[in-house]
Parts: sequence; C-alpha cells; structure tokens
Amino acid sequence: MKRIIVISPLIILFIICLFTLFYIIGNKDPNKPPSALLNKNLPSFTSKSLFDNEIILTDNDLRNKKIIINFFASWCTPCKVEHPLFFELAEQYPDLYILGFNHKDAAKDAKNYLKDEGNPYTFVGVDKDGLIALDFGVFGLPETFLINEKGKIVYKYMGPLTDKIIKDEIQPRL
Amino acid sequence: MKFNHACKLILKNLFLIFILTSGVHGNENVNDKVKKLTLELRCMTCQNQSIYDSDADFSIDIKKLVKQKFHEGKTESEIKKFLVERYGEYILFRPLINFKNLFLWLFPFTILAIVTVFLIFSARKK
Amino acid sequence: MSSLIGFLALFISLVLNLFLLSSIPLINLSIVRFNFLIRISAILTLTSFFSLMVAYVTSDFNNFNVFQNSHSQKPMIYKISGTWGNHEGSMLLWISILSIYAFFFSFSKKIDDKLKKQTLLIQTSLHILFSLFIILTSNPFLINSVIVDEGLGLNPILQDPGLAIHPPVLYAGYVGYSIIFSLAIAGLLQKEKNNEWLYLAKKWSLISWTFLTGGIALGSYWAYYELGWGGWWFWDPVENISLMPWIAGLALVHSLLMIKGEQILKKWIIFLSILCFSLSIFGTFLVRSGILTSVHSFAADASRGLFILLIFFLITGFGFLIFLLKSPDNSGKINLLFINKVSALVINNVLMIVTTLTILLGTIYPIIVEVITNERISVGGPYFNSTVIPIMIPGFLLMSIAPVLSWQTNKIKNYRYYVIGFILISLLVLFYSYFTIFNPWGILGLILGFWIIIASFLAIILSYKLKLNFNFFKKINSHIAHIGVGIAIIGITCSSVFKNEYQYNLKQGDEFKIKNNKIIFENVETSNEKNYQALRINFVITDKDRVLSTIKAGKNYYPTSKIITTEAGILHQWFRDVYFIVGEQKNNEWFIKVYINPFVSFIWLGVIIMIYSGFIGATKR
Repeated sequence: MKRIIVISPLIILFIICLFTLFYIIGNKDPNKPPSALLNKNLPSFTSKSLFDNEIILTDNDLRNKKIIINFFASWCTPCKVEHPLFFELAEQYPDLYILGFNHKDAAKDAKNYLKDEGNPYTFVGVDKDGLIALDFGVFGLPETFLINEKGKIVYKYMGPLTDKIIKDEIQPRL
Repeated sequence: MKFNHACKLILKNLFLIFILTSGVHGNENVNDKVKKLTLELRCMTCQNQSIYDSDADFSIDIKKLVKQKFHEGKTESEIKKFLVERYGEYILFRPLINFKNLFLWLFPFTILAIVTVFLIFSARKK
Repeated sequence: MSSLIGFLALFISLVLNLFLLSSIPLINLSIVRFNFLIRISAILTLTSFFSLMVAYVTSDFNNFNVFQNSHSQKPMIYKISGTWGNHEGSMLLWISILSIYAFFFSFSKKIDDKLKKQTLLIQTSLHILFSLFIILTSNPFLINSVIVDEGLGLNPILQDPGLAIHPPVLYAGYVGYSIIFSLAIAGLLQKEKNNEWLYLAKKWSLISWTFLTGGIALGSYWAYYELGWGGWWFWDPVENISLMPWIAGLALVHSLLMIKGEQILKKWIIFLSILCFSLSIFGTFLVRSGILTSVHSFAADASRGLFILLIFFLITGFGFLIFLLKSPDNSGKINLLFINKVSALVINNVLMIVTTLTILLGTIYPIIVEVITNERISVGGPYFNSTVIPIMIPGFLLMSIAPVLSWQTNKIKNYRYYVIGFILISLLVLFYSYFTIFNPWGILGLILGFWIIIASFLAIILSYKLKLNFNFFKKINSHIAHIGVGIAIIGITCSSVFKNEYQYNLKQGDEFKIKNNKIIFENVETSNEKNYQALRINFVITDKDRVLSTIKAGKNYYPTSKIITTEAGILHQWFRDVYFIVGEQKNNEWFIKVYINPFVSFIWLGVIIMIYSGFIGATKR
C-alpha cells in the first residue's frame, strides 16, 4: 500500500507527459478545435442561388455526390488567398460538386467579388443571416467541408486551404 | 463535548437553510436565463471568453439564437444539445456529465472521501 | 555588440556549471571555492540578461529578438519590460532568477557544508538544463541577417505597467521553489538525519510563496482592468497553472509549521517540496509550448514544447524517483486528535492537495480527451467553481481557529466566545441578506469571511498580551495572514455574487442614473500618444450634486500591430468599484457597459496583507 502511494506521482507524471507528447506530436492546434460534425450526416439546408432568387438548392438535391462546401464572403481576406485553389480542384475533379455559401454578405459585393476573382463554384448559395453556417458549426471564415457520396462529412478544414492541405488531406479522400 | 455538540447543531442548521434557499429561483425571466446559459458557453472565436462577455460577431449571433430558442419554449438542456451537435462539447465551459467526463467529475470528491476515511481510520487506531 | 557579450556570458556560465557538476568525482572543491564559482556563474548569467536588456533599451535591431519584439517609439519602461515580454527573453529571465536564488543561497550559514554543496549541485544541474534549452531552441542573441532600422513592436496588450513587472515577480515565485526542490533532494540523497534544513526550507518556501502571491495578484489585477470583462479571475488555464504551485506551496508552508510542534511529516514535506517545483516547471512548459487556449496568449512552437517537456519529465521524474527510492521514515508519531493543531494542519494539507489535483486534472483533462477521442471539450469556470469551492469550505471554517489550537490536547481555550461569535455572525448575515439580496453562495461566503476575521481577532485578544512592538506583530503573524484571507473572501464573494451590470446606448451629453449616482457622458476625446492613438470618453460621476470624479474609459489603437485594446475606466472606492467599458459606436451612439463591483478593493487589500505576513514569516525563525 505504502509503495503504491509513493509510486503514484511517477505514474501520474508519466501519464501527463505521454498525453501532452501525443498532443504536441499530433499537431493539434489549440485555436482549431476538431469539428463536431465529422462523420455525421450533411445537415439539412435550403438556400437560394446568389444569381437567381428562383433557384433553390436543398441537401436532398445533393444525394450520391461528392461535395466540397466552402463558406466565403467578399469581406474575408483569407478567402481570397484560397480562392484560386478551387479552380484547380474543379479542373482536376470535374465530377466534384463545389458548393459555395456566401456568408453574411451583400449580394452586390458578392457578385462583384466573384466577377473579379472568378467563380469556381458549381452553385453559390446565399447565407445572408448566417443560419446555414450555424448548422454547419462554422465560426470563422473560410471553412471548408468535404462530403462523400453517402452524405457523410469526412473532412473539415478551418482557415484558408493550401496546396499542402489539398494534397495531404483532400485528394486522398476524393 | 458541549462544544462539539454546539458546532454540529449550528452546521446542521446552516446546511438546512442553505439547501432550502438554493432552490428559490423559479421565476427567472428570459434575459436572466440567457445570461445564465451564455455565461457558460465559450465564444469560439475568442480566447477563452464566455459568449455573454464577448462582443464578437459569433457571440452576438449565438446570444440571439439562445434568446430565440428560449422564447420558443426550449429548455436549457435542449439548447445546449443543439449547440453541442454543431460546435461540439468544446462550446460548453461546464463539461457534460457523460461517460467521457465521468472521471473528471468524480475524481475530486472520490479522492477527498478516500483520504477522509483513511485519516479517520488512522486516527482511530491511535 | 551587446548580443555577443550576452551570448558569451551565457555560454561561459553554462561551461562553468558543467565544470562544477563534473568536478564532483574528479576533484574535491572546497566549499569556499564552490560558492565562489556559483556566484561567478550567477554574475555571468545576470550579465547575459542585462546585455539583452541593453539591446532592448538602445533599440539594437541587429538583434533578431529585439527586432521582432520591440519598436523604437515605445516608452522606456516597455523597452525594459520588452526584455521578458517574449519567449526567449522570459526564459533568460527564468534562468537569471534561478542563479540569483543560487547566489543568495550560497550565503546561507545555518546549514551543513555537505548538504549545501549537494543542494547547489542540483541547482547547477537545473541551470545546465535550462541554459541548454535557451541556447539550443530559444536563443535571444541571434543576429538579424538583414539590416533594419525599425522593429515590429511589442504586443500592445502587454504594454501596461502592471504586466511589465508581473513576469519577474511571478518567476521569482516559481523559480524560488527550485531551492526547496534542491534542498529536499539533497536531504534525501544524503539521508539527512538532522532536521535543521527544514527551517531553511520554511524560509525559502515563504519567500517564493510571497512572490508567487504578488505575481498572481498583479496578473489578475491586469486582467481586471485590461481585458475589460468586469471580472478578475476567469479560471483560465494559464491562471490555473499559477494557482497550482501557489496552493501546493501554501500546503508546504503549513506543513513546515509542524516543526514547531515537533511533529514532522518529513516524507510529506519532501513530497510537497518536489511537487511545488514540478508544478512550476509544468506551468512554464504548458505556457511556453502554447498548447492551451488562454486569454494570456503566448506564441507557440512545437519543438520548444518538446524540449521543455523533456526537461519537465527529467527533473520531475528524477525528483519523484529519488523520493521513491530513498524515502525517509516518518520520525516521531503523529498526534491526531479530534481537534488539535496537528489534525487541523493535516486536514488543511489534504484539502489543499485535493484542490491542487482537481485543478491539475481540470487543466489537462481536455488534452487527454482530445488525444483519445479526437474531440475537444472545455473545462472552464463552472467546473472549478462547483468542485474547488466546496472542497475548500471546511478548510476556511477551520483556519480561523487553527492558530490557537493546542499541539497536544483536544481543548480550545475560551471556546464559548468563538461559538457565540460564529452564531452572531451567521445570524447577522442571514438577517441582513433576508432584507437585501438573498443568495446562498453570498451568505456562505460572507459568513466564512467574517468568521475568519472575527475569530482571528478574538484569538489575538484572548491568547496574547497586547503590545505594540514588532515582536508582537511577529507573534500574531499567522492570525494577520488569516485576517487577510478573510478580507479577500469577503471581496471575492461580494464582487462575484453581488455584481451588477448596466448597459446603455449613449451619445454625448446623455445622463443616466445608477442607484444614487448620476453619471454624465461628458465628451469624447481622441489623442495621439507616442505609439498609439487613444480614444477616451469622459464620464462625470456625481453623488447628490457633488462631483465625485471624472473617469476616462475607451480604447487604444496600436498602428504598428493593428490591434485595438479596451481600456476600462474604473472609479475605485473602498466599498465598490464603478467599472466602465466602451463598446462599438453606432449612429453617433456609443454602447457603454457599466459594472458595479462591490468590495473589489477588499481582494487587493487581503492580498497585500497576505504578502506582508509572508515576508514577516520569512524573517521569523
């Protein structure tokens, strides 16, 4: 009994060091919590097209498709950085459905933004009051989700995409 | 032993009063409920700040949402569940009592109980 | 130039320490020479530190560290504090304080030469580990590869007088525990039978604890007025980290008190000595590795994190391993009775350690959960409030009378007075709160606070002859410390439970009333300061047509780093703080938050009393 008490600090120390070691090695970022939606189903949504109020997209329209969903806005500077990468993705994977959600933006600004930077999206949905973003658990732009044919969210990335992220994380999942 | 007796009596009474009074806040209005809940929610875009205290865009949205949900008649735990589904348990400053967090919640009181029993025994032995 | 001198001094002190460590099996240095070399090494380390400071003061942007963290337009005080306002510099500060402690320890007389040498040797090993860390991963003396004439600037949130002196004071606390650690390990290694070293440990542990108290208080005072959230303690990971060695250190100080009663839990004291320093390094590791989200944000770097994790593992592992292998037998039997001083001290120690472990668990639990499940959870204020506070309550009840309990018997002198006092306080508080705000936590906190103060006064009156000289104050020192705690508890309770908050949208000239005070939004001023632009709103507070004060609250904009900071305006009064925060401006109207924080000043008063009695206690034998 006494032995156990004396040895317990060492055990606790060992456990603490082991876990913090794994935490550091696992490249966990304290500012980017893992998404709660990972491996869950695509949340349901209904969104109007940015270019035509008559066209409405819902999650049902996206059955059995590989989808990449990107939340962007004209006021978001990092979004501009990742923007060209979506053209590359569209070129490489013609079947990929690239859905852009225009987050809390004025329609005019968003249209100008897509005119200046080009439009890589298959569909641009309007999320004016941020309610769709809320259902996706988005809290900082840009955020990107990857959804497989079964409608499961398989990957999420916070912040601007980079070539490395596309190569290491997104391409293997497509 | 008179002293001990008196001490015990006082403690017991205080404890009773404490228990009786801690239940007395049934009629909170929505704003109080929103305050109470948002104080225990993390502003995801800030550094360790509660949603209530923060003026970030994200916090303002969530405050609005919580208020609206309370008006719809949702309970605190339903709102928490709604938020956890989307943002994960990370948003809750008070960890949920579930399997994963069981150790976290039980540890302090269990270890205190064990040590107390241990001390009483070793004092008795003498 | 100063960078070169600094690096050389640091390097030579490392070599010197390596020599000292390796000298043991080779040559038998006399204690006089040994002390001399220790002091030389301390002077070298300080030289290194001051050359970095010179680089900061002269804005020598050839130094990469200065270039990254300083700016020539900064006021002088922030140029100086910029030295430790960054990772590299703060590690240099850490090691400088380590050598200062070794320096002063080398002068201590009442200690066996062999034990002293062994202690200093362990101190030397610590010095080597940390200087290797600095030289290999965080060298503050790197030379900038390009020539620049302006720096990038210091994080504006750190440009604050309170935070400028916070790190040195805090580190003086953290690092002070290294001496106790070294003493305890040296004692174990030498199988020291003589208990004389415990007196030395008591002195140094009180000194470190006092510095730590000051450091934590400065930090939370800074959080109070700089973060602008109206509170002063947020159970933030970085705050928790500093609280752990503080509570463990408090347990250590109390268990060292048992020397007086000649009942020594030697094993326990050694355990606590190792624990305190381990928690200090653990804190440094967690903060410096940046694996926590915190309001007290620090830059992160994984490789540094790994290195310092290794150091933490080595030092703590070494300490507890020696403790496991050579743990002493408890000398003397423990006189546990229902209520005597020993049992009070044991209970207090148990509660403090359970509290420390709870905070430790709460702080690292998210890390463990994330590694196992890849989900992140938060363990925040609500968890700590509902675990730590209930655990501490019995301790608070006990501390008021503990100093007058006897070592041997079960009796308390004049216990009736205490009983009557307790009942009176409870009734008064209940009566008062029945007619004002009824809050169970408030009642509990007030009863505890007043009970500690009144019982301590009763104890002083009943057990000592009143004399107004220094010796008398030394004698009643523990009571004074406890009165400080009582005052702080009242402050903490009132400021958190009875806090009021008001929100307004106001434009210039508007008036509003809070209780009996009329507050006028007088005007908005903007000004260009040396390194920032300031916006201030002047609020005139009047009490029955008498102007109490004008409070400036607003924001600062720092163009170099494009950061806006809130500057809360606070009217400090004895019984309440009126706390102003300026929010966003919309259509000419400003969003204003006003907090009425009752009795906040009591917290700082209580802390000052604790610091005072900490220093008095350190001078006592």
